[in-house]
Amino acid sequence: MEEKQRAEVRIEVTDGAAIPTEKDRGLLSAWRIAFFGSIALVIGLCIYKPHPYLDILEFVPDGIRVTFEVTIISIILSFFVGMLTGLGRISKNRGINLIASTYIEVIRGIPLLVQLFYIYYAVGSFTRIPPFFAAILAMTICYGAYMGEVFRAGIESIDPGQTEAAMSLGFNKRQTMFYVILPQAMRTILPPVGNEFIALLKDTSLVSIIAVADLLRRGREYATSTFNYFETFTMVALIYLIITLLLSKFVSIMEKKMTPYE
Amino acid sequence: MNKKDPIIQIEHVYKYFGPFLALEDINLQVDKQERIVIIGPSGSGKSTLLRTINQLEKVSSGRIVVDGEEVTDPDVDMNKVRMGLGMVFQNFNLFPHKTVLENLILAPIKLKGMDKNEAEEIAYSLLEKVGIKDKAHNYPKQLSGGQQQRVAIARALAMNPKIMLFDEPTSALDPEMIGEVLDVMTNLAKEGMTMIVVSHEMGFAREVADRVVFMDSGKILEVGTPEHFFTNPSHPRTKKFLSQIL
Ligand SMILES: Nc1ncnc2c1ncn2[C@@H]1O[C@H](COP(=O)(O)OP(=O)(O)O)[C@@H](O)[C@H]1O
Ligand SMILES: [Mg+2]
Repeated sequence: MEEKQRAEVRIEVTDGAAIPTEKDRGLLSAWRIAFFGSIALVIGLCIYKPHPYLDILEFVPDGIRVTFEVTIISIILSFFVGMLTGLGRISKNRGINLIASTYIEVIRGIPLLVQLFYIYYAVGSFTRIPPFFAAILAMTICYGAYMGEVFRAGIESIDPGQTEAAMSLGFNKRQTMFYVILPQAMRTILPPVGNEFIALLKDTSLVSIIAVADLLRRGREYATSTFNYFETFTMVALIYLIITLLLSKFVSIMEKKMTPYE
Repeated sequence: MNKKDPIIQIEHVYKYFGPFLALEDINLQVDKQERIVIIGPSGSGKSTLLRTINQLEKVSSGRIVVDGEEVTDPDVDMNKVRMGLGMVFQNFNLFPHKTVLENLILAPIKLKGMDKNEAEEIAYSLLEKVGIKDKAHNYPKQLSGGQQQRVAIARALAMNPKIMLFDEPTSALDPEMIGEVLDVMTNLAKEGMTMIVVSHEMGFAREVADRVVFMDSGKILEVGTPEHFFTNPSHPRTKKFLSQIL
């Protein structure tokens, strides 16, 4: 008789940059071309035409910092919101389950930009919310819902035998979830979480609309004061691309490190 | 050994899966230190019966008492009862993200509040008992099936249970690994553990079982000593089944 080997579960990629893996040679070289090409382009432009390209490069770092701040705070918060939502979605308690499901359904049906406006302007008409907070709140609420589905899929991918083994030892449901199921689910969850992270970083460009001085906003400020629209947005696009490519590389390295239980 | 000292009482247990009757009027009493082997065709309800004892499966009606606790009572503290009821599964179900040692110490530390040193000491002695002390720091995936199942037995024993339930512990194993697992179980029986074992290893049943239970279509058709089963089983279904597996 042969032992049943559980197939490695992979959660489908929905959004975000394609993450290069060793197996996917085509994608890997595409990554190299895009990454080194854009770096070469940035350097080339700065040497060829330091005004305005180098000036732009010196003007936007504050914005890059804000973009990262919004991204990292939002991803951490939405990770926990997502965990709670995912647990809610698999809960046997009808009320909790309904709340979690409705939250996901509603949030996924409203464009992020509209959610952002809603929190900043609509809710903001009752109580003033600083733009930075509104941005993080909107990103967290939105990505918490997406992350909830990632968590649910990750938890459901774990063999029910694991729950039975833990329960048979005397663990209650909560202990089983936290000691046995979630640590294993984290591995399945990591690649899609990485993707959400990259998608979120790109989506933070939307917050420039509510006066958060992120990368895109800084670019716009530079462009409107100097009228160098083409040069500015070329640089902004290249910087986003380089950051995104770096992150996707980072995620793929993390993923490779996490794979073996050996 | 007090022969009439029941530790498990199963009375008029019925189990439905939807409209399907998986257990029909099951009555069985297991005494302390008794070894029961359950046999029967696939789908006859052996796993379901075993799983009702530690309530991984709820009964539809009937009553089960384990070591003085009525586990079919919805108000019973089932987690506490399960600590005294070890279970070994066909597919081992070791925790793949934990080393062998961590598999053994998780429950004693978290559930009994045992300190780590004491838990590890017990774990090492159990691993020695099942013959894989040298694998303590390996992950389950690095072990053969037989080794994994021995770890699973040690993990259950780490909670110092009064009763052990085995659900076809050797049927997922390559033939050459069956012996090493049965040896561990035989030793456990010799130490006086109360055991209920679903298994078709008739050599094991003959050597270890006090009673053999034959199930078919959700019912217990026949209960008797191994000798009775091998020499003159009374029920025609039992005869037919034994002729197929022997
Ligand atoms: N969770 C379940 N839902 C529906 N039917 C089930 C479930 N578990 C077991 N059964 C059915 O109950 C019967 C007995 O199953 P089981 O106890 O696993 O048999 P055995 O262990 O003797 O092979 C089978 O017909 C099986 O299909
Ligand atoms: Mg079975």
